[in-house]
Amino acid sequence: MAEGGSVIGCHTVDEWNQQLQEARESKKLVVIDFPASWCGTCRMIAPIFAELSKKFTSVLFLKVDVDELKSVAQDWAIEAMPTFIFLKEGTIVDKLVGAHKDDLPKRIELRMPK
Amino acid sequence: MAVSGFEGFEKRLELHFSGDNPLGLRYLAIDDLQQVLDAVQCSIVSAAGNHSFDAYVLSESSLFLYPDKIILKTCGTTQLLRSIPSLLHHAADLGLRLRSCRYSRGSFIFPAAQPSPHTSFSDEVCFLDAHLPAALRFRKASVMPSATSPHSWHVYSAADDEFSVLPPSGSTIEVCMTELDRSLARRFYRRKGDDRSGDEAGAEMTELTGIGGINPLALVCGFAFDPCGYSMNGLDCDRYSTIHVTPEDGHSYASFECVGGGEMMDCLRKVVHVFRPGVVSVSVCTAGGGDEGPVWSAVANALEPLGLSCRHRTAEDFPGAGTVTYQTFTAGRK
Repeated sequence: MAEGGSVIGCHTVDEWNQQLQEARESKKLVVIDFPASWCGTCRMIAPIFAELSKKFTSVLFLKVDVDELKSVAQDWAIEAMPTFIFLKEGTIVDKLVGAHKDDLPKRIELRMPK
Repeated sequence: MAVSGFEGFEKRLELHFSGDNPLGLRYLAIDDLQQVLDAVQCSIVSAAGNHSFDAYVLSESSLFLYPDKIILKTCGTTQLLRSIPSLLHHAADLGLRLRSCRYSRGSFIFPAAQPSPHTSFSDEVCFLDAHLPAALRFRKASVMPSATSPHSWHVYSAADDEFSVLPPSGSTIEVCMTELDRSLARRFYRRKGDDRSGDEAGAEMTELTGIGGINPLALVCGFAFDPCGYSMNGLDCDRYSTIHVTPEDGHSYASFECVGGGEMMDCLRKVVHVFRPGVVSVSVCTAGGGDEGPVWSAVANALEPLGLSCRHRTAEDFPGAGTVTYQTFTAGRK
C-alpha cells in the first residue's frame, strides 16, 4: 500500500517479512523509516522521505510505525526517532538517527548499488 | 575585543503548560512551529525525538518540546520573545494553559546590536509583562548580582502560583563561557573545501572535540556551520543537553545546558575541559527551591581544580521557577 510518493507502509508483521524477502531477492537497497505518530520530528521528515522515494526509483522505501509494529521496532532497537535503516540483501549497511534533510539523500546515493 | 561580531550569548525562554492532552506540545504541527520560529527569525536545521521529547537544532540555537513544556534558546540578534504570542495561541488550540514562564540571559557582548524588544532588560520585562496572561500573577525580574557588574544574569519569571505546583523537573544548569582557548576554538571551524553536510561535519566535530564523551549515553545531534560554529542537542531518556559554539577570536563564546541529577557536575567539569575558557558563568535553577549553599559548593568543587576562581556568587528565589544561583569564575592564567 503506497503511503505518499512510493513509500510502502508495513502494517503487519507478514507484510514486513514479505517486503524484506522480496527486497533480498531483488538485491535492491532498502531504506526503512521508523516513525512514531507522537514524535514531531518524524512528521517533519515524512514529506521529504516521500519525495526521495519518487526520485530514487531503484530503491525500496518502507515505513514501519514503531507503535503499530512494536515487535519489529524492538527487534531493530529503535530508541530515537526518526531512525532510517539501510538494508542490502538482508544486512544492515547504514543507520541514520534524526531528521537530517541534507544527509538522508546523500546516504541513499552512497549506499545505492552502482 | 572585536567592535562587532556574532552574539553568542543566548536568550532562553521556558514555558510550562497543563492540559488534558497527554501529547500536548508534541502535537504542534510543523507549519505552526515554523511560524513561531519565523517570528523569532530562525529555522530548523535538524531534529530528533525519543519517547519523552522532541529536540530541534536551529539556525540560531535550540528548541526542546515536551508534552507540557517548551524550552527555546536563541542567539545572535534573534527576537526570541516575539515567539510568545503565537506559541500561546497554538498551545491554546491544543487545549493547553500556560502555568509559568522563565526568561533568562547573560550580558550581551554587543548589546547595541540587539533589536527590540531586546534593547534592554527593562524593555524585555515590559514585553513579557504585556504578553503573558494575567493569570500568571506572581512575577519577578532581577539582574544578578547587579546591573553594574560586567557579568550579569538577567532573570524574569511569572507563575500562576508562587511555589511550583508542577511536577519537579529537577535542576537545570546553564553555563556561559567566553575567552575560549584559541587552539581548542579552532576545532570548530570547517576545513576549506569540505563539502560534506553540516550533520556529517558536525558528527566529526562532536567526536574530535571530546563533546561526545560528556555524556556517552546520550544521542548527540551535532551540526557544523560554515565557515565556523557548532551546535548540538543531546537526548538521554527525558533529559536534554545542548551546546553552542561561536569560536571567532575576539568574541569567542560557548554555552552548555543540561537537566540532570548527580552527573551534572561531572558534565560541567568535562565541558570546561573541552573549551578551557577564561571566564565561566554558571547558573543553576532548582525547582522547588532550597538552600543555595550546596549548589555553590558543588559548582566551585567542580571548577576550582581546573584553575578557575570564583569571583562572586549570588542566589534568588523566583515564582514558579525555584531557586536560581549564579556564579562567575575566571581563570588564573591571566
